[in-house]
Amino acid sequence: MNIQFKKGVLELCVLSILTRKDCYGYELVNDISKNIAISEGTIYPLLRRLTKEGLFSTYLKESQEGPPRKYYRLTKRGQEVKDELTNEWFAFVEGVNTIIRGNDE
Amino acid sequence: MNKDEFLKELDILLNNLPSDEKREILFDYEEHFSIGLKEGKTEEEIIENLGSPKFIAKQYNANYMVNQAESNPSASNIFRAVFAIIVLGFFNLVFVLGPFIGIIGLLIGLFGASIGITIAGISLFGGIATFSVFDPYISLPIALTSNAGGTIFLGIGLTSLGLIFFIGNCYLAKWLYILTIKYLKFNLKIIGR
Repeated sequence: MNIQFKKGVLELCVLSILTRKDCYGYELVNDISKNIAISEGTIYPLLRRLTKEGLFSTYLKESQEGPPRKYYRLTKRGQEVKDELTNEWFAFVEGVNTIIRGNDE
Repeated sequence: MNKDEFLKELDILLNNLPSDEKREILFDYEEHFSIGLKEGKTEEEIIENLGSPKFIAKQYNANYMVNQAESNPSASNIFRAVFAIIVLGFFNLVFVLGPFIGIIGLLIGLFGASIGITIAGISLFGGIATFSVFDPYISLPIALTSNAGGTIFLGIGLTSLGLIFFIGNCYLAKWLYILTIKYLKFNLKIIGR
């Protein structure tokens, strides 16, 4: 997939994962790179930018092994942006699908 | 490259950022390494998946510079932000640098014109007002000297026009600044390497 396209979608992926549960960075990177081929280094700058934009808050939580980990939690604003992006995404995919299948009806 | 080399290179490349910010970023990558190693990956594997420190640092720098330009508007900050975006990739060279140079050119032209009109107005006014004193030394077109009152008003009018034009340009520059920031942010969102 084209890299320009990926970065916008990446934002939606991160937001969607965080809707389900709070995550630490590695977990997010792992969940995403399992499904999409990305350069993982793109995700941390993205997390930092979105945190600054107020879409996430962060907190430290103890882990069973090793030092505490930094967790990301979606804020209310983050939830709103996620809903917005999700709608845009589905509208986009639907549009592309219609074109690919050929518009019969 | 191993973990220490990776972190050291990233540290150096992030030198433009405030030290607390840099520390937070490096902390994220240290955490990433420590968890990855615990899961049985090698340092090399982790680095391969992360991408080069250069690639990573460019993104932090671009994010930081755009934020700086937004919160502390100044000419040097906007130039830095534009530059940080441009080095993200070739696409930006064309689609960011081009319009930016256009805007700078437009502003220089407009400000130059407004200053020119203002100076013309002042000279006209001053020339007529002091004409009686300097009469032997300067020459003015007869059309101006024959109706001194009219010329003085013309001078005042031109000066005011130039000043209003100038003030308008200031507003335009401010608005273009905000627009540029928005465009840079848009680029941060959609453009990868």
